[in-house]
Amino acid sequence: MTSGLAPARRLRRLNMAKKASFFYLALAPAFIIVAFLTVYPLINVLYDSLFRYDFIRDTREFIGVTNFVRIAGESLFQRSFRNTVAFTASASILEVGLGVILALLFYGEFRGKRVAMTIIIFPMMISTMVISAIWQMMYHYEIGVLNYLLRMAGLYPVGWLIDTRIALSSVVLVDIWQWTPFAFLIIQAGLNSIPREYFESASIDGASYTQIVRRITLPILRSQIILVLMLRTIDTFRLFDKVYALTGGGPANATRTVSYFIYDEGFRYFNFGRASAASVYVLLFVSVLAVFYIRSMFKEGKQ
Amino acid sequence: MKRFVMCALLIGAMSVGSAFAGGAAEPDEVTLTIAGRDGAFGDALELATAEYSERNPDVRFEILKLSGPELLEQTVIELRGGRGAFDLVMIDDPFAPQMQEAGWLIDLEEMYDRHGVELDDDLIDNIVTLGRFPYSEDGTLYALPYVGNVSLFAYRDDIAGEYGFDALETWDDALEFARLVHENEPDMAPVLFRGVAGNPIVTGFMPIFASHGAQVLDDAGQPAFDSPEALEAVEFFLELAQYAPEGVVAYESAQVRDALLAGTGAMAIEVWPGWIGDMEDPEESEVVGLVNVAAHPRQIEPPAPLLGIWLLGIPVGSEHQEEAFDFLRFITSAEIQEKIARETGQAPTTESVHKIPDLIEQYHWYPAQLDALREGVARPRTDHWAEIESVLGDYLQQALIGDISAEEALERTQERVLEIMN
Repeated sequence: MTSGLAPARRLRRLNMAKKASFFYLALAPAFIIVAFLTVYPLINVLYDSLFRYDFIRDTREFIGVTNFVRIAGESLFQRSFRNTVAFTASASILEVGLGVILALLFYGEFRGKRVAMTIIIFPMMISTMVISAIWQMMYHYEIGVLNYLLRMAGLYPVGWLIDTRIALSSVVLVDIWQWTPFAFLIIQAGLNSIPREYFESASIDGASYTQIVRRITLPILRSQIILVLMLRTIDTFRLFDKVYALTGGGPANATRTVSYFIYDEGFRYFNFGRASAASVYVLLFVSVLAVFYIRSMFKEGKQ
Repeated sequence: MKRFVMCALLIGAMSVGSAFAGGAAEPDEVTLTIAGRDGAFGDALELATAEYSERNPDVRFEILKLSGPELLEQTVIELRGGRGAFDLVMIDDPFAPQMQEAGWLIDLEEMYDRHGVELDDDLIDNIVTLGRFPYSEDGTLYALPYVGNVSLFAYRDDIAGEYGFDALETWDDALEFARLVHENEPDMAPVLFRGVAGNPIVTGFMPIFASHGAQVLDDAGQPAFDSPEALEAVEFFLELAQYAPEGVVAYESAQVRDALLAGTGAMAIEVWPGWIGDMEDPEESEVVGLVNVAAHPRQIEPPAPLLGIWLLGIPVGSEHQEEAFDFLRFITSAEIQEKIARETGQAPTTESVHKIPDLIEQYHWYPAQLDALREGVARPRTDHWAEIESVLGDYLQQALIGDISAEEALERTQERVLEIMN
């Protein structure tokens, strides 16, 4: 009996192995492409960061971790890093917070809801460079509409983009204007997926609107909120285009970000070693944040 | 069989498609790709290329109109790769030595010899030198000057006259003039300059720096920002900047130009020919005949106009070097330089065009411009100029805002530039 079963089992195993090898073979091209597009550049950046690499002269000199040590000790990099963290924290938290508020406001039915939604979503669809040009005009110290309104109200004009204390907040405001709709859309999708019965029964039980939001809506939306927060954090940490177009990193480096620092090192001075080392710092920081968010999301999923 | 027929048809279709991709081209037709600048520079390139194609119907052009940083970025990446995508490149003169040292441009002297022609002696000698490597009159020629940009000084002649100035000859005169305008002309900005960090603020500051006897690099090639002359220059600049508009840290060329042409600025410590081409056009300007554009004032040292020449070179990888060379000679000839100057206001690089009477009538600063081009000084020839300019510009702007003192700005610049260079 056993000897009769053994060939059948072997045959099954062989079939399974065949299927598995076909499966891996089918996946291989996609895997190779993904590896080439993600893993290879990462290794390349890590490798370059260990060299004094002059792109124009095409000279490389191995200097170990010197680039990392030097950059970390430079006031410009420190300032860029602090600005980036401040921008990321304020922009992503405010965008998600406002996105939640908007989603709650738009949950009920009211007249003109579709028109209002279209208007709210509109900024997200415009190119960042166009948005920056519009806001640059609005922020203009002498001819901008914001200072015009302040003067009309008898107030002093504000140096939106020229005052070192305010410039970064002005850039945050533009980002909020552009990307709050993104947070709003994702959270609204989550909100619409919650069965209405939950809210109705809580309401019948006498729960107030605030209690329903705090005890039911927000806890259920937690994973969506974490997801949006993660996406916005990663995106805002890479801030470059708005700063490039609005302030050029100024005034006095008040809006200079790490991405801007990397751009200058890489494409203005062609010091690819230093640019790579700064990129590795960004990669590490964003990875830590991403791991934190992903763990929170998984924890939420298990609960 | 069916599969085979399908495959054959597909391959056939692909072959036909690829044969016709990119449109039909005449067998002898050549397309020259120029990596150039945007704005008025781009318009001038269009004008010259159209003229050339009219005379040489077999040569077509593709012009990439890029901003300054984009042009540098794309030029470096392309020329480093040596794929031959560009046949001519516009080069901001401080970056020329790096490109020449890297061996990315062809030796033009060899081309002149091969074609049995001579370098046009109408081109201004002082700016031809900028295209040579090493940077000296004896260096090998790798690029020709195409735009005669040089920084000049502009002030309202009428207002200066009212306050008893025949001319603003020294920087002290300029400061006094700014003070008087500040006290007596409430609707007018006494002094204008580009306050944006980096290249803009440094370019405006350099003539002050040089005329105070300060140097970026000393004779040994080491940074010299810790000199008393440098401190005096920065302190003077900050004193003068007190009379600049409140938003000056965000001022770029457009703001300086607009204020000057609208008649709301009394003096600009830095103007470039490309900004003021419309100054004598009544449709564009409120100050026709009222602004004197001259060489910079002197202080301890004589005026030191800063050269900002745009050069044109032919990359080694170009597959159309002969055609590119012919076009290069064409675009830098007096005939085309005159046409460009007349129609776009771009500053010429030839002596003779500066002396054409009706052009002098149109651009009354041409004699001063020619002097400045002959006497002007180049930015330091170092591979680190972009970084030095950026560092100095950052600290200068911080001093302008009042975050740090003039002394701190120079100390930090000196320290950082030393790190960069060593």
